[in-house]
Parts: sequence; structure tokens; C-alpha cells
Amino acid sequence: ISPLTTHVLNIAEGAPATRMALSLHRLDHNTKIWNMLTVGTTNTDGRCPGLISRAGFTPGTYKLRFETGQYWDSLGQTAFYPYVEVVFTFKEPDQRFHIPLLLSRFSYSTYRGS
Amino acid sequence: MSTQRLQQLKGHFLSEHKVTSMAGPVSPLSTHVLNIALGVPGSNVSLSLYRQDTPSEVWSLITTGITNADGRCPGLITKEMFTSGVYKLRFETQQYWESIGEASFYPYVEIVFTISDPGQKYHIPLLMSRFSYSTYRGS
Repeated sequence: ISPLTTHVLNIAEGAPATRMALSLHRLDHNTKIWNMLTVGTTNTDGRCPGLISRAGFTPGTYKLRFETGQYWDSLGQTAFYPYVEVVFTFKEPDQRFHIPLLLSRFSYSTYRGS
Repeated sequence: MSTQRLQQLKGHFLSEHKVTSMAGPVSPLSTHVLNIALGVPGSNVSLSLYRQDTPSEVWSLITTGITNADGRCPGLITKEMFTSGVYKLRFETQQYWESIGEASFYPYVEIVFTISDPGQKYHIPLLMSRFSYSTYRGS
């Protein structure tokens, strides 16, 4: 099981946000460049298993980018945000993080969950 | 000086102090940072506003600022500069948490949004704790 998981919820509909494209990136602290690690799409439960391996999830700064604009587009709706990026950082190894995204066309929230 | 004359002079000064403050036009874009862990405004949070150039997609810095005691930052942009496009508000949230002696999960928060009708007003609050944040289009 990936030590990093997410869960995208369409809170306007009260349903998971399915088939949303997302990507995980890690910041190279020397070059300040973001390296893309994974691309994926949320499943029917709004989740995207297998984001990263235990070995790959070393302490550092990561970014989860959610293609929310494309998602609303695919539902025939406009939205305020073209995409959402959540940047987080950790120092201790062997951690697990659950990073949900609760979303409507004009709002979003995220938190460190479990 | 006679009392009467002093009263006259006092009248001059008071009417000058009655001048209403000439606040400039209100920015069509505003924000409000709230520390929801403590239930207080997020004051002294550094922030910056960018617009994305087309077609290069490069971000151009428009304003930098810092939230006041009420967590607000007036004067983000003028009506003239507020054209349609994609904008980004970046909040230096980790600096803020560190300044009150706490660690935080997010090194910063960036909110990217699309302005299709610059004639409207847009209010973009940021509600935050050390391990969460939310934003919405408000008024």
C-alpha cells in the first residue's frame, strides 16, 4: 500500500470525484525543479492507489496536483480554479499521509487525514 | 487671546479634522486569512499576487503584501490592472506558523484561479490550521 494516499470528493454532489487526473511531484532542493513521480486518475471511489512506493517516499517536499478544471469541464461545468496543487513537506522517514481534497466549483479544502 | 477668539480658532481645526479620509478605490480582489486553529485572523502573513502571461504561461508578480491585524491585505490590485486571466495568490503560511513557534505541514499555499469577468469583485479567503486549509470564492 502506498504510504501516500488521496481521496477526492465532489462536495457539491456528495459523491466521489471520479476520473480526475492527478500527478505527484517531488521537489529537487538543489535545482528547485519539480520532478514528476506519478500520474494517475481517480477511480470510482475518488481514490488513486499506488501513488508511491514505501522506498520511494523519502522525506522532502512533495506536490499533489489535481486537474480539477478538466474534471469540471468533463461534467460540462465551469469552475473558479483551473487546477489545485497541494504542497506538503516532512522530515521524518517512514511516515504515511492521507491527503483528501474536498471540492466544489467555487471552493476546496484539504487536510492531513488518516 | 480672548476666549471668543480661541473658540473661533478651535472651530477651524475641528473642521479640518472632519475631512473624510480619502481612501483610494477598493481593490476588486481581496483576501482574508484566518487561523482557524486559534479562531483569530492570520495577521502578518506575507503574500504575493501573480498573473499568468499568455501564451508564455510565465507568472508575473503583481503585488507583494502582508496581512494586517485583521488578516486582510487591502490594495491588492487596481481596477485598471485587473484584466481577465489566470491569477495566483501565494501565502507564506509556513513562515507564519514558524513565527508563532509552530511547525506546519504545508511550506506555503498557492491558490490559482481564473478571472473571466474582471468587472466583478472577488473575495478569496484562506482558512488555515497547521494541518489543513480551505478556500472559496466569497463576497
